[in-house]
Amino acid sequence: MSKKVLVVDDDPDVRSFVVTVLEENQYIPLIAQDGVEGLEKIEKEKPDLVILDVLMPRGSGIRLYHHLKSHEQFKALPIIMFTGIALRSFLKSQKVLDEFQGAEVPKPDIYLEKPVDPEVLAAAVRKKLG
Amino acid sequence: MEIKKLLFVTKFEDLCYDALNSLLILRKAALGHVVFLNVIERDKVAMKRGAGYLKEEEVKLKETANIRFIDWAENLFEMGMEVGAYIEVSTLIPEILKVIEKEAPDLIVIGRSHKGALEQLYSGSDVSELVRRTRIPILVFKHMAENKIVPEKLFERPILATNWSETGARMMEYIKGMKNVIGEIHIIHVVKDSALKSPDSHEVQKVRKKERKKLDALCDELEDLGIKARSHVYVGDPQKEIEKAAKEYQASMIILGSSDKAAILERWTGSISKNIADNSIFPCLIIPGQKEN
Repeated sequence: MSKKVLVVDDDPDVRSFVVTVLEENQYIPLIAQDGVEGLEKIEKEKPDLVILDVLMPRGSGIRLYHHLKSHEQFKALPIIMFTGIALRSFLKSQKVLDEFQGAEVPKPDIYLEKPVDPEVLAAAVRKKLG
Repeated sequence: MEIKKLLFVTKFEDLCYDALNSLLILRKAALGHVVFLNVIERDKVAMKRGAGYLKEEEVKLKETANIRFIDWAENLFEMGMEVGAYIEVSTLIPEILKVIEKEAPDLIVIGRSHKGALEQLYSGSDVSELVRRTRIPILVFKHMAENKIVPEKLFERPILATNWSETGARMMEYIKGMKNVIGEIHIIHVVKDSALKSPDSHEVQKVRKKERKKLDALCDELEDLGIKARSHVYVGDPQKEIEKAAKEYQASMIILGSSDKAAILERWTGSISKNIADNSIFPCLIIPGQKEN
């Protein structure tokens, strides 16, 4: 059975690019436009993987990543960060949230800085889902 | 009343990171979330004879804005703040109202561009339209080139002008929410010439004494919370006197109320808040009254 991948990104052009890559690789794409909708879809649709942007209205990917990785029910959910925000800034922000919330979260194992070629994105998804 | 979330509306030529940076002191007062908004006016990408809709121009403008926002956001994320961004091709005020609906900010920060008479006219009307259409406090920054105020000291020495309208209580609540941020506040009231029953000095002093007593009560209220406060009474034209007071005390910003009544009168006479926000060299924080139920 095809696996479900949730794309959380506020940019319709980026969503459309990622959805095309996913469909061409036989995955089922789901979409959310911001962090709040992203969390709702994760709870409701139970995707197998999340492709997550950082800078979005109504809830950034920074907070959503930290929330998912610090809550038992979502900890195992694979996440690919896909953003224009530098990895350095992302890691620093997670460290501040760790200190503030008292929960240390792991670094993302795949962090893709936009833009990326479709083959790179597809390979990252395959690495996570097979 | 705390400022937890602010909406930063920028065209980039009017407000940049230095302005945002001067607001980050509000983190001491609870600020934890900044939302950026850049509105690309439709006429910049609208249909042109022989060229059609300027899609390439739209992409270029959006990407330019996006690069700036990413850069700013990285700084804020690293401080542990939450950041959101909107880049829309639209019309300024309706777009601001849409984002307010989605994000519910506690403060709107907007610039006032002064490049030409026409632009000044439009910018002025943007601010006054926004004041009329929202109940959220609005901080009007001035164009960088004309701004003589050191941006880092924005909350160091504000002047609060009260006319004892119904917005007074809301202004005080707002100031109390910034108790960890404000250096020293000067509270002033301008007695209009027309309010003096007779021009003799005894009468003027009597009015001054009465108003000063009311102002001192506000100062006491703030000093109980640890905010240094001083009171001043002025007599004359409110707009001129508020500006004069701001200069005399080297104010870092002017804080004003804006009532519904003022918004209605403004159509006929131009309100004091609007005129000061549009014309003063000082940044202005305008606090609208509560919506009547």
